[in-house]
Amino acid sequence: MSMLKFQTVERDSFFTRLDFRPKLVMMAVISIIAFVWESPLLQMVMAFLIIIAALVVGVKFSYIRLVIMVMTPFYILLLLTHGFFNIDQVKALTGKSVLTPMFTFPESWWLIGGGMMSWEGFTYGVNAIFKTLSLTLVIPLGVFTTDVDTMIVGMVRARIPYKIAFIFSATLRFFPVLFQEIGMIIEAQRLRGLAMERMNPAQRVKVYAKVAVPLILGAMVKSQQLEVVLQSKAFSGSPVRTYLHESKMGIEDYLLIAFFVLLLIVATILYFAYGIGKFGGPI
Amino acid sequence: MSEIIVALEKVSYKYPRSLDFVLKNIDLTIQKGEFFGVIGPTGAGKTTLCLTMNAVVPQFYGGRFFGHVFVAGLDTLDYPISLLANRVGAVFDDPETQLIATSVENEIAFALENLLVPREEILKRIPHALAAVRLEGTEKKHPAELSGGQKQRLAIAAALAVQPDLLVLDEPTSQLDPVGSQEVFATVRELNKELGMTIIMSSHAAEEMAEYCDRVALLSNGELAAVGKPEEIYSQIERLLANDLRPPQVASTFYLIQQTGIPTGAIPVRMEEGSRYLKEVEEVCTIYPPKDIRQARVHTSEPVLSIKDLKHVYPDGTEALHGVSMDIREGEYVLIIGQNGAGKSTLVKHFLNLLKPTSGSVKVGGVETANLTVSQLARRIGYVAQNPDNQIFNATVGEEVAFALKALKYPPEEVESRTLEGLAAMGLSNVREIHPLALPKGDRARVVIAAILAMKPEMIIFDEPTTGQDYRGAKYILEISRQLHEMGKTIVVITHHLYLMPDYAERVLVMGKGTLLMDAPIREAYHAVELLQSTYLMPPQAVLLAQELGNLTNQSLPKLLTPEELASCFHYSHNGRTP
Repeated sequence: MSMLKFQTVERDSFFTRLDFRPKLVMMAVISIIAFVWESPLLQMVMAFLIIIAALVVGVKFSYIRLVIMVMTPFYILLLLTHGFFNIDQVKALTGKSVLTPMFTFPESWWLIGGGMMSWEGFTYGVNAIFKTLSLTLVIPLGVFTTDVDTMIVGMVRARIPYKIAFIFSATLRFFPVLFQEIGMIIEAQRLRGLAMERMNPAQRVKVYAKVAVPLILGAMVKSQQLEVVLQSKAFSGSPVRTYLHESKMGIEDYLLIAFFVLLLIVATILYFAYGIGKFGGPI
Repeated sequence: MSEIIVALEKVSYKYPRSLDFVLKNIDLTIQKGEFFGVIGPTGAGKTTLCLTMNAVVPQFYGGRFFGHVFVAGLDTLDYPISLLANRVGAVFDDPETQLIATSVENEIAFALENLLVPREEILKRIPHALAAVRLEGTEKKHPAELSGGQKQRLAIAAALAVQPDLLVLDEPTSQLDPVGSQEVFATVRELNKELGMTIIMSSHAAEEMAEYCDRVALLSNGELAAVGKPEEIYSQIERLLANDLRPPQVASTFYLIQQTGIPTGAIPVRMEEGSRYLKEVEEVCTIYPPKDIRQARVHTSEPVLSIKDLKHVYPDGTEALHGVSMDIREGEYVLIIGQNGAGKSTLVKHFLNLLKPTSGSVKVGGVETANLTVSQLARRIGYVAQNPDNQIFNATVGEEVAFALKALKYPPEEVESRTLEGLAAMGLSNVREIHPLALPKGDRARVVIAAILAMKPEMIIFDEPTTGQDYRGAKYILEISRQLHEMGKTIVVITHHLYLMPDYAERVLVMGKGTLLMDAPIREAYHAVELLQSTYLMPPQAVLLAQELGNLTNQSLPKLLTPEELASCFHYSHNGRTP
């Protein structure tokens, strides 16, 4: 059941009762700001605010922890690449000709000897980490807090083509089925006597890759059956249809849209007029 | 004369890339309010026939189509599928793929939304449709939270909400356990009797089809071989067998009695008539049991598998097994039966070390499974999945059989010799270089078994090998199990199809609510009718008739299992019962 529940939070709140459209606006505005800002401090504040908001509206801490754990190798890579190698861009952004060293590897070390991690490169890496974190966590904040039905109707009302909305909904429907199938196939392989526990990661990947054969064949059969089912249910992909669920915007939805539009305007003005949000800017 | 709802006029059809016609010159009319059955072996054209009713054939598939299909007076060639979806509700065999929405209410609303039914009307229809299939209160559930039977009932509700003129169901119970199957048949019958809904249903469930249908059409190789009342179709035993169809056991029994020269009148096809006929025939016969009834062998060899006080609690707190103890001995043929949720899968997963006991012990060959890895166990216990395709992933049959041997780093000579042995044992030597998926489904199961045999296991488990198979397919795989048993392997079969097993199994484990309700020779187990029914398992009709015969004659007959055994009890005495 856990496979199903991840789609929606269990807590009923002001946020879960909102229409999907203001959440779409929220996701768009936060993504734009996160994308444009390069200030590590502001990025960090925004990422923490998103995490707090997500926890308040009921996104499980275990989910956020999982995202961070999965992303950690990527974050380390970001820190190292920006800290050691992103010299020209950081110099251009800060206007400095010499960067502040954090530490330097002794010259005698093989390959990495003489390598220097700069403070400016490091902080730019921190900016990149929180930027990706904001971009990653704003999606569950918007999606997990919305009932799938409301989301679909909201998407259609927001003029997203119905076919795309349907594909989104069908993915959520068949996600558990697909995972169940993968589990069954891997189990069947293990029961063929494959000693997974004695295989190295490369051998395991090779064996797991073979899951694709029965999975794809099964998916092809299922997709053809699905097509027949859809035909039998008068599905044509046409947006001209009625909807069981309504998508009505209330005053709070309009207020939220106004708030995020205003936020975008203010952030843009501050960015261009005062350099707030720029790397090496006042904040 | 009642109104004709469906009329097929000289319908022939060929799929775009197929060589042969799937339907050949079919003329058929179905009356409004009928419960019409379609039977035939796999490949006879049943599904294609069903799909002509809503014009998916030929409008969606294309191909060559001749003749006309009229549904409620509309020629299906003249109207789009979307319009006919308003007239014809369709339910298919796979409960998973035919539910496409993320909640029960959305599933019902989906077709209505596509048909532009106003929201207010959809809101009115949802509770009606759910009430008709007794699924009230499930509106907000995700389809994955429903049982197999509930999923099929939801598919029926979604079809009903459209308020169609007829409901077409293509093998709706083939993937279900007995409870799910009973739920679907009961629902469909109620719709037919209470609401007068026209039903067209294809199914291999002979006993239920004979019981519920008003008329039955027998399709054979795309041709309409016969149409008639169930008593006309299901009493033609030789014709059914020639078409790889299984007759209801009550019909087989009276057919066999008739073959011995005893006049039985007509051949009954329903249990109620069977009971009546049994009494009449018994009055002109002497009843004594056959002498050569096969008794299950008593195995005294060392246990291959030994389970003691096995308990299993899943992480979510569900207690799936409560102290199960049993031994499976070398050379036994064991049948495990029980409802979904009875604990069969949990039990078998412990055999294979896919689950660890919460308490108690599982020993294979005297060694605790906890001390063995899954792959070590797989060399001692082979497992044939319900869908053998899930276990196939190599480019040739030979590579498939050698796959695990190579992965286990056997020397090349041993890989080759074991591969050859496995292929030879399953009669696959001449297809070694063929792609496994190019073989028919039954032969694909053989490939998996050959691969398992190459590991030289002592025991082979067949997990629901007959689900979704027609009679021929089911017998084919069970004959392989017999062959393996004769080779000295210990066989364990999990199935819901009790009527298929008397010729094979020796011992039955009846599971219910996580406990071993009964562990007995097959004759004892099958005749524990009340116990079986208490766990929603239906004993074969031959067993029920044998018990009735025992009651009628006040004799303590041996526990008979098959129509053949039952029929051989009857000895004609021309002037009535002789002492």
